[in-house]
Amino acid sequence: MGWVGMRRSLAAAGAVIVLCGAVAACGSSGGGNGGSTASASATSCSKSGIQHLLYKQGVLTVATDNPAYPPWFIKNTPSNGKGYESAVAYAIAAKLGFPKSKVVWVHEPFNKAIIPGPKAFDFDINEVSVTPQRAQVVTFSNSYYPVQQAIVARKGTPIVTKHSPAQLKTYLYGDQNGTTGLTYITTKIQPTKQPKVFDTLAEAGAALEAGRIDALVTDTPTAQYMAGYQLKHPQTVLVAQFPTVGEHYGLVFKKGNPLVTCVNKAIASLQSDGGLTALQKKYLGIYLKFPTIQP
Amino acid sequence: MDSNSPMSPGQPAGSFAGMGRGPGLFSSYRGARAALISTISTIVVLAALAAVFLLAAGAHAFEHTFLSPTDMWRSFIGNPKQGYYSVGAAIWLNIRMFLVAEVLILALALFIALIRQSTGPALFPIRILATGYVDFFRGVPLILVIFALGFGVPALSLPFISTQPDAVYGVMALVLSYSAYVSEVYRAGLNSVHQSQVSAARSLGLSQGTALRYVVLPQAVRNIIPPLLNDFISLQKDTALVGTLGVIEANKAASIYSETVFNFSSFTVAAILFLILTIPLARFTDRLIERDRRRRLAGGA
Repeated sequence: MGWVGMRRSLAAAGAVIVLCGAVAACGSSGGGNGGSTASASATSCSKSGIQHLLYKQGVLTVATDNPAYPPWFIKNTPSNGKGYESAVAYAIAAKLGFPKSKVVWVHEPFNKAIIPGPKAFDFDINEVSVTPQRAQVVTFSNSYYPVQQAIVARKGTPIVTKHSPAQLKTYLYGDQNGTTGLTYITTKIQPTKQPKVFDTLAEAGAALEAGRIDALVTDTPTAQYMAGYQLKHPQTVLVAQFPTVGEHYGLVFKKGNPLVTCVNKAIASLQSDGGLTALQKKYLGIYLKFPTIQP
Repeated sequence: MDSNSPMSPGQPAGSFAGMGRGPGLFSSYRGARAALISTISTIVVLAALAAVFLLAAGAHAFEHTFLSPTDMWRSFIGNPKQGYYSVGAAIWLNIRMFLVAEVLILALALFIALIRQSTGPALFPIRILATGYVDFFRGVPLILVIFALGFGVPALSLPFISTQPDAVYGVMALVLSYSAYVSEVYRAGLNSVHQSQVSAARSLGLSQGTALRYVVLPQAVRNIIPPLLNDFISLQKDTALVGTLGVIEANKAASIYSETVFNFSSFTVAAILFLILTIPLARFTDRLIERDRRRRLAGGA
């Protein structure tokens, strides 16, 4: 589910930082995969050229969390090729020369995927937001999905219709501490009233329902889920989304794994031939339909 | 209060100062030798503590994470456009909350204590209610009371009652919870005044109420000032719990800074600010205890 992904995006980054404070060698755990060195990235990205970089020769091992939620995966079955992330994983595999039968899925809890150390997969695809803090302990691919922030408000309140940049500054916002949504409020919207800052997103949601705040800001998938399924007393709506500020989901690799070079080429190719856009239209259409406004 | 105290016959308290050890920091150390020994032992203890922090393997990381001067200054002054708010400005909310709460607690707790101490048969149901109140609010964690009021009352959508600022619900929760504790302190104070005091007052023609007001309460309150101040020091810190309602008080401002910048020095700033608030009150309590001790010794002599 989207909102799980969002809570992952920054709260967990804090945990990584704490770990880094405790483990002295954190961040210096670079190096190759299975004895190879980073210079191996010069190798060709043909199927035979990357064999020695793989976790298991002959197959591409892809990890995600269990359970895996729609619209990223459908029916918690990554191997069915349905859902945005499942489809993207298979598209990348195809670009690298692996047919569907040569892709192996493994389960990897989110928190294990983003800590330092050896990995039991080639890459992990799990709505992980790329942050500089995380990038110190794992290697990220380029973006396969740009994250946008969106406004959730009660149905029929002023912000639903009045949200010009000047009007946006006049509302009372609330958000979860440590999220990109809160940073967006303070740094981009810059409201005149101090926002309310909660320990969990659920509390911010409760405050919205109770009318204690006018709106909350969170990533579009989470916002869509909250407005559509969670906050219904009274009804809430996803008002609009903001242009992306560079936050994006990336595939997770073991720190320094040279395979990322070849996967980035595959992602670039999927971007230029329209493959990614087509998959976003197919699986993430519910997010694309919301209007984009300026802060 | 010394002047109207029956236990202090007016002897100079100073003449008994050397009789025992008091809670003052240096009161028991006499002479140059004692001063020298205390200086050396203080240096040794502080050096040992400093060594633990400075020589630890993670000393540098610890310093950077918790004691970075740059981060402490930035979090103190705040910068909303960078995503964090001033801890220094936020402590003002804590101060206002506990000042209001203290006054209300003193009044409500006294009311509850008097009800619980009452003896009239007609007041029985109110006594039961007061006992239930104390049992309930002493037993329920304060943070849950704050949560229930801060999220529950607005959810009722009542006019006026449901539209107050978060700090108001926070203060209400603090008052409800702390009054239960403080009423027990009052009760201990009321019980510490001997029944003969009331009898004497009544024999002089004072009514029950007047005897309570002019004979019992002044003595009871004087006896419980130290434990009362103790509770208030605790109250000052517990105002930080109101941050769970989303309002940006000092602890919440520090937390926002640490989540934004990934540095915990902001919490050190909040801790220092709370210490600046509580230490003077703690020293004041010490002095009151010392004064009371002297007076008791004087009375006993």
